[in-house]
Amino acid sequence: MLTSLLDKIGRRALVALEQAGDFSVVSGRAFAAVFRRPFDTANLMRQFVAVGVNSIPVIVLTSLAVSLVFALQLAYGFKQFQAEGLAAQVNGLAITRELAPVISGLMLAGRVGSAMAAELGTMQVTEQIDALECLATDPVHYLFVPRLLASAIMLPLLTAMAIYVGYWGGYMLLVGAEGQSATVYASDFYKLLDVRDVRIALTKALVFGIIIALVGCWRGYRTQGGAEGVGNAPTSSVVTSSLWILIADFFLTKLLLV
Amino acid sequence: MEPNSPLIDVVNLSKAFGPKVVLSNVNLSVKEGESLVVLGGSGTGKTVLLRNIMGLLTPDSGHVSVDGNIIHQLKRDELFQVRKKIGMCFQMAALFDSMTVEGNIGFPLKRHTQMSPGEIADRVDECLNLVGLRGCQKLKPSELSGGMKRRVGFARAIALKPQILLFDEPTTGLDPVMTDVIGRVILDLKHELGVTTITITHDLKSAFEIADRIALLFRGEVIACEPGSTFRDNPHPIVQQFLRGDADGPFLQDPPPPKRTNHAIYHPLTGVAP
Repeated sequence: MLTSLLDKIGRRALVALEQAGDFSVVSGRAFAAVFRRPFDTANLMRQFVAVGVNSIPVIVLTSLAVSLVFALQLAYGFKQFQAEGLAAQVNGLAITRELAPVISGLMLAGRVGSAMAAELGTMQVTEQIDALECLATDPVHYLFVPRLLASAIMLPLLTAMAIYVGYWGGYMLLVGAEGQSATVYASDFYKLLDVRDVRIALTKALVFGIIIALVGCWRGYRTQGGAEGVGNAPTSSVVTSSLWILIADFFLTKLLLV
Repeated sequence: MEPNSPLIDVVNLSKAFGPKVVLSNVNLSVKEGESLVVLGGSGTGKTVLLRNIMGLLTPDSGHVSVDGNIIHQLKRDELFQVRKKIGMCFQMAALFDSMTVEGNIGFPLKRHTQMSPGEIADRVDECLNLVGLRGCQKLKPSELSGGMKRRVGFARAIALKPQILLFDEPTTGLDPVMTDVIGRVILDLKHELGVTTITITHDLKSAFEIADRIALLFRGEVIACEPGSTFRDNPHPIVQQFLRGDADGPFLQDPPPPKRTNHAIYHPLTGVAP
C-alpha cells in the first residue's frame, strides 16, 4: 500500500521533472532562435494581428468591467470611513500596478495561449511539424519565434491600453455615478503613482507575454495522442500559464517594488 | 563517399518504444538511382524505418547513413543540410493547412533559396506539372481530394530537387484508379528526376511496377530483399503468404477467425437454420 503510493508519487515527480526539463530546453532553443535568420516578417505580422489587434475588444471590455466593479467596491468601502476621496487614488494604484497587467495576462492566456496550443497541437498530430523538420526548417524557429515576439511585444501594449481604459472605468463610476469632481479624480488617479509603477506594470506584462507564448507553443508542440491530445493541449496550456502568471506576479512585485 | 558505396545505408538498426520492439537489426542499403520498395503488414515498423532515415527518430542501436553522413550523429545544422537532399512524402501528405497549394510547394524554396517570387511561381508550376496537377495553385489543402493531397505533397517534396525521395504509404486509403495514378506519378518522378527512392507500401501492384528491389519487413526484421523479378519466387512461407494475401499461415501472431465455407441462412422469424 505505502510502497505503491510512494511509487505513484515518484513516477509523477519524474514526469513533472522531465517535462520541466524539456520545457526549459525548448524555451532556451526558442530564445536562441529569435536572432537567427531567416526573419519571417510576414509570419510575424500575422501574429501581431492575431495576438495584439484581435485581442483589443476583449481587453477593453474586461478592463472596463474590472475597473467599474473595483471602483464601486472602493467607493462603497471608503464611504464607511467617510474617506470617499481615497477611492480614486487606490483605484489608480490597483489598476496600474496589478489589475491591468494580471487581468490582461489572464485574458490573453485564455484567448491566445490556448489558440497557440490548439494550432501547434493539430500540426503535431497531422505530421505538419514533422513535415517542417523534413523541409529542413526548425519548428521552434518557425513556429515559436513569431508567437513569442508577438506576445512579448503586444501584451505590454495591451496592458497600457487596459490602464487607460481602467482610468475611464473608474471615472464613469466615481465621477459619473458617485458624483465626485472630475478634476479631483483626474489628479487623484495619478497621486500615488509614478513612472516606475507604469514601468513595473509593463515589465510584468512582458514576462506574462513570454510565459503565455512559451507555455502555449510548448504544450502544442508536445501534443500526443490524436484528437484527445489536441483537446487537452489548450486546457492545460491555459491552466499552466495562468498559474505561472500568478506566481510570477507575486515574485515580480516583490522584486520590482524593493 | 567511395564510388559504388550505397547512398542510403541502414546498418543493424534497432528501435523499440518501451517494451515493444519495432525494428530489430535491420540492414538495408540503397544505391544511387535505385528504387527500393519496402513491403510489410501494418505495424511492422515501416514508417519507423523512414523516420530513422530522416532523423525524426534516434535509433536505439545501429545507424543510418545517408551520403556518408551518420544521421543521428549530425548536429542540427548538418542534419538540415542532409534533409535538403531528401524529399519526404507523408502518408497523409502533411500539407500545411494554413497555406495554399502554392504556399506549400513554395515553402522550401522561400526558406532555402534566393529565388524571386516569379521564379518560385515557375518552379511551383513545374513541380505541379510533374505530378499531373495543373492550375490548382490557389486551392487550400481542405479543398483537395486524398489523391490530390498526396500529389501536392510529392510536388512539395521535389521542389528543392532532392537526390532522394521517400514515400510513406503513398496509396493507402485511395481507390484502385487513384492508386494506379500515384504509382505512375512515382515512376515518372523516378525517370524524369533520376532520384533514388524508398517507397513503403502494401500495394503489391504498384510495388512491382516501381521497384528495382523489394524488401519485406516482418515483425521488425527484413526477411527478404531481392529484385522484383525474383521476389515472387522467394520460397519463404511469409513472403508467399503476403503475396497471396491469405489470412492462414505464419504471418499473423494470433490465429485468424476460421473461414466459413457454407453460409447458413437463418429463418428471419424463427431464427432456425434450415
